[in-house]
Amino acid sequence: MRNHLLTLATVGLVTLGLYLLTQMDGTSGLLSALRLIFIWGIAAISLNLINGQLGILSLGHHGFMLVGGYVTALLMLPEKERRPFRTRLLSDWARDNLDLDKWLRGLGLDFIANSIDLKFIIALFIAGLAAALLGVLVGAPSLRLKGDYLAIVTFGFGEIIRLLPNAPEVAAFTNGPLGIKGIPGDAGTIWWTFFAFLFVLWFFTRLKFSSYGRAFEGIREDEIAAEAMGVNLAYHKVLAFTISAFFAGVAGGLYASYLQSVDTQTFNFFVTFFLLVAISLGGLGSITGAVIGTAVVVLVRNYGGFLEQPYPAWVGYLSGALLMLGAFAFSAYIRKTRRLRPVIETKHYIFGAIGLALLLVTVFFRNEPWMTQTVQFFGMRKILLAVILILIMIYRREGVMGRAEFSWKLIFGPREDIPSEEQRKQDAWLSNPELNPGASETKEDDDASA
Amino acid sequence: MPLLELRNLYKSFGGLQAISNVSLTVEEGEIVSIIGPNGAGKSTLFNLITGVYKPDRGDIFFEGQRINGLSPDQVTKRGIARTFQNLRLFTHLTVLENVLIPQHHRLKSGWLGAVLRTPAYLREEEKMREVALEKLSFFGPRLMSFRLHQPVYVLSYANRRRTEMARAMATGAKLLLLDEPSAGMNPKETKEITQIIRRFRDEGGYTIVLVEHKMNLVGEISDRVVVLDYGEKIAEGNYHDVVNDPKVIEAYLGRREE
Repeated sequence: MRNHLLTLATVGLVTLGLYLLTQMDGTSGLLSALRLIFIWGIAAISLNLINGQLGILSLGHHGFMLVGGYVTALLMLPEKERRPFRTRLLSDWARDNLDLDKWLRGLGLDFIANSIDLKFIIALFIAGLAAALLGVLVGAPSLRLKGDYLAIVTFGFGEIIRLLPNAPEVAAFTNGPLGIKGIPGDAGTIWWTFFAFLFVLWFFTRLKFSSYGRAFEGIREDEIAAEAMGVNLAYHKVLAFTISAFFAGVAGGLYASYLQSVDTQTFNFFVTFFLLVAISLGGLGSITGAVIGTAVVVLVRNYGGFLEQPYPAWVGYLSGALLMLGAFAFSAYIRKTRRLRPVIETKHYIFGAIGLALLLVTVFFRNEPWMTQTVQFFGMRKILLAVILILIMIYRREGVMGRAEFSWKLIFGPREDIPSEEQRKQDAWLSNPELNPGASETKEDDDASA
Repeated sequence: MPLLELRNLYKSFGGLQAISNVSLTVEEGEIVSIIGPNGAGKSTLFNLITGVYKPDRGDIFFEGQRINGLSPDQVTKRGIARTFQNLRLFTHLTVLENVLIPQHHRLKSGWLGAVLRTPAYLREEEKMREVALEKLSFFGPRLMSFRLHQPVYVLSYANRRRTEMARAMATGAKLLLLDEPSAGMNPKETKEITQIIRRFRDEGGYTIVLVEHKMNLVGEISDRVVVLDYGEKIAEGNYHDVVNDPKVIEAYLGRREE
């Protein structure tokens, strides 16, 4: 009960903070970063269901996102944006009939058609359904495979789906490589993204902590054992794949409306790659981890710009020196906390020495022309991301969160898996045959359900 | 009607005849041991019964219904559960979760109901929990209280074996196939396992087929012993008769040069 209240309070606070942000000036950069975190967060959480919880490597996620993006785009496109398509590739039929507005008015639901927000939700839902349908079509035949083979097949399907909009036969609906532009952007305000994100968090947490979530994790841990324990492998794999594809479609629709355009390059393979990086960083199998990983990647990409600014060269030397000295201190610290002796080995002095040398060079030659010239490091953001990933893989291979989830219990509640002093004593007594001869005879009618 | 009936089973892998012409009946409430030298086909027989392999010829009947050709999860739904020779637990999940997963196939609520936490689903979840605790309490307080919430990888080997047996029982099976239940256990733990297997039958009402190498365990609990050698059934009967059968002695020790 207390935990529910805490959750509600947190959601309320975040909503309030978001509202204040939208009212303030000069926060558009932050807001768009948040929107990206929400959108990619949804995609990452959905990919996490397959790759983390079900434990099968799927590389076709960008295909599902693309379907969601295109469906949302087609359904939401306003009349005046459709008109020019006549001269382009989009066929008359597609132009006139693939219109959510028209469908809704045909059904007499004018009040929905008049509200761009309600229309957007319905479009997102249909986008999700389309992606889910594709998920079944792709998943049912390919999920018989395992491991690398499955990864390759899903990657292949993903690329096929991604390139389909370019095919002449399909281009009548998708406008070919030109893509669709002019998707109404005001339908994808931060609020719908935020609420979709909250819904996804709720949905996937509930799913994970249900019997179905347990079955998925059983399949991840040991497929043969799970099958021997009555878990229908094919059904559960396709189910997870379909749910995942549905929310990938929703994320694709949100992203298309964020960009206000969609084409086949919007959702290339790097989308899946980016999501994989995010969920491995946060911890495969953890929803919290997927969000953290996405946030890190998006923030580095959006706010790492200062790394690529032009600087005088001494800044580079100085940061190099600090990095080396930092590595020296960090390695000493790690070895101390992990009780490895000796704390500092000879090789660690190399980092210290390089750092010190760089520092001295910076100080002594600070007025030399090669020290004051302006340099610019392009691609530092990506390098930073790569370095973060390498460090995580070395020092915490299971990711930031591992398989754990954030919960209030983790902060406040008692840990159920750690025995109390009394339980510990009792346990020692139980497992010691000298203290407890013939435990199994005397304990037969023990009602130990407490 | 016997609970389990194998009729003239054949299975070969390439040129190797792993099982040939094995017939066997198991009555309800029996404890049947299958013994034999390494490579005799004991584990293959288990894999045939549980649907991991399909027999080349012959039929398997469970409660009078033909079950060969069914997939392992369907066989489990019919009421046959097994343990594995080299533990196949869900290592990173907790003990409780390990015993809840085998009950998943009995869940009537769909995934949407599970996400929405409908009252029906919550009732089923509560029931699953009760069954899990009931099965785990077969082993005394060892796997109860704080152990319930520990991941399996922190458990001792013997506790893992116990968890696996509890997991097999939790499927709701009538017939338990135990593949070397005492492997890797010390004499004291073996003794305890022996008693527990007997309690499975007496208190739990399970029928048990087990593969085992420790002859004192086999002798102590088996109603009937079946001996396999090179995929063929060479002897069947009570423990005393079987171990004195010259064919069995030959299979284990070889023939004396005349």
